[in-house]
Amino acid sequence: MSDTQWELYEVFHQKARGEHHVHVGAVHAPDPEMALVLAKEQYARRMACVNLWVVRASDLHASEYADSDMFDHATDKSYREAYGYKVVKKVRKGQAEEGKAGAR
Amino acid sequence: MKTEALKELLFRLADDELIIGHRNTEWTGHGPILEADIAFSSMGQDELGHAQVYYSLLHDLGEADPDHLAFLREAAAFRCAQLVELPKGDWAFSVARQFMYDAAESVRLTALSKSSYAPLAQAARKFAGEEKYHFMHGKTWIKQLGQATAESRARLQAALNQVYPYALGLFETTEMEGAIATEGLQKPEAELKQDWLALITPILQEAGLRVSVPDAAPLEGGRKGQHTEHLTALLNDMQLVFRGDPEATW
Repeated sequence: MSDTQWELYEVFHQKARGEHHVHVGAVHAPDPEMALVLAKEQYARRMACVNLWVVRASDLHASEYADSDMFDHATDKSYREAYGYKVVKKVRKGQAEEGKAGAR
Repeated sequence: MKTEALKELLFRLADDELIIGHRNTEWTGHGPILEADIAFSSMGQDELGHAQVYYSLLHDLGEADPDHLAFLREAAAFRCAQLVELPKGDWAFSVARQFMYDAAESVRLTALSKSSYAPLAQAARKFAGEEKYHFMHGKTWIKQLGQATAESRARLQAALNQVYPYALGLFETTEMEGAIATEGLQKPEAELKQDWLALITPILQEAGLRVSVPDAAPLEGGRKGQHTEHLTALLNDMQLVFRGDPEATW
């Protein structure tokens, strides 16, 4: 083996069942099994955690930063944002309560 | 009799954890790769935490407080197996020891979770999650090093050969063995040893390794206070600061 550096695995952390997995960093590992073992102590030894994903970084397909202008809006598209709907207050209230529950 | 047997058992558990924890944290800054270094040191901290809980149980039974038990006893008062005192060696040695030690701890905690002494059973159940990870870590490294290259397999097998007789010493018995078993504190060491062999043998085989010299004589003595010179050196190091001023508050 000429390159002694192991492959890079991106790590995704799930705080509670039903929550999204959130990208938290990366580990070097020789295979997915070892990546999970090492990711546990790097990224789940402090935060609450119920599940981890590891994904080989080379398996990710990314857009080009050179193309980032394609995400810009040429005209006002705020109508696409959901803030105008009547339920928004209710949703925000629900989120706030959930946030409080999560902090406990 | 029961209290004496219980105390001896707790000293073995606590001292094993304190000393292996100290040894494993010696990898901080020295692991083969940053991730491995952090994982090993972090597991060492887990073991130190378990030791503190066991020493607290001893304190509840009238022994000195955990700090004094950890930092003011001489080597001869320690009841750890000699396995845990050996220097950390190379990575293969530490991996072989961690695998064999944590496999033994897994079967022991399963047994202790049914102990007749409720506070001990409760502690054992509390440690189950961390121990599950420790065992998974050891198993994964065994598989990895056993199958990576001819050199990694040869070096790991050599380390396993070296560790095995000392690992058998984890199941050493004393004259308290009868009382420990009949009082229901923990099932007999001989049975734990069988559980341990049943756990590690298939994992080693799958990794292309073997339990070397199955009839090797166990290297014992630790449970009776007979230790290698490595324990004295370790204690000199570990106890230095505390002994400098035992009454200091931190």
